[in-house]
Amino acid sequence: MSDELKLIAAAKAGSADAFADLVRAYRVRLLRFLLTRSPSYADAEDVLQDTLVAAFRYLHSYDPRWRFSTWLYRIAIRNAAKLRGPELVEIGDLRDQENDPLQQCIADSETENLWVSARQLLNDEVYSAMWLRYAEDMSVNDISRALDRSASWTKVNLMRGRRVLGTHLNSAAQQSEAYG
Amino acid sequence: MDKLAKQLHDDAQRIDASVSDELERRIEASLRAATPELEGSRPAPVTRPPLFWWASTITGVAAAVAVIAIANWRAPDQPAAPPVNIVAAMPSLDLNAETAMLTGPLQQELDRLQSDLKKAEEKVKQEIGL
Repeated sequence: MSDELKLIAAAKAGSADAFADLVRAYRVRLLRFLLTRSPSYADAEDVLQDTLVAAFRYLHSYDPRWRFSTWLYRIAIRNAAKLRGPELVEIGDLRDQENDPLQQCIADSETENLWVSARQLLNDEVYSAMWLRYAEDMSVNDISRALDRSASWTKVNLMRGRRVLGTHLNSAAQQSEAYG
Repeated sequence: MDKLAKQLHDDAQRIDASVSDELERRIEASLRAATPELEGSRPAPVTRPPLFWWASTITGVAAAVAVIAIANWRAPDQPAAPPVNIVAAMPSLDLNAETAMLTGPLQQELDRLQSDLKKAEEKVKQEIGL
């Protein structure tokens, strides 16, 4: 039995310490993802906290055939959607806000971060699929489970996302060449 | 890994996120305060006695029989009304008017032909000196 499975078993038995150890490796990864989807850093932290508490509370429903990270991301995506609510804007409209946490977290970077463009060009679900694939190296099946979508939907939308970002990269490169 | 995938992966790693001590304390406190639902803690589904199912079945069958009986119930036969004479009820048509309308043009044409024939006979008689 792997360490992760041992920790899961202990956490299922009610050990908060075991669960804290279990999710320690995932906290920064989840927070990074949530920062790109939340209107502020504080909101991203709140969603992270809610996600971990919900995961601990409902750990009995975790199916070990899934990767644990897939299950965590599924909860995080749902919580992030709840935070933003139906009346709020798409993630692409967060870009002009001064307290945009993603802009704050990449402020020191010299080159453009492609995830900023992705957030403007892709819708929520396609963005999440792209993140899980390229930032988390998840398989198509795991992404389908995390998003509660079919594998074919995931494949098609990953391809669309790639095409959109590829076109954006090419046009950006042409513009920079044109301006010398 | 192609160029786009690599850039996406690297750019994700460049997002500078860190869990602050305060957030860590908050998370640990909320985890300790949370009570996990244990696998056996869910209330067992309510099982109904077999008598309940028999009662439901009998009620359903009785309702079905009642619906079928009502649908097939017919009132006692009423005395049949006397047959209506359709021919008598129909309005009479003015057939003569219709005949005159149809034969009028033919009669005029016949008169014209007979008139032409008489004229031709007279003309022939004059030419041969009768």
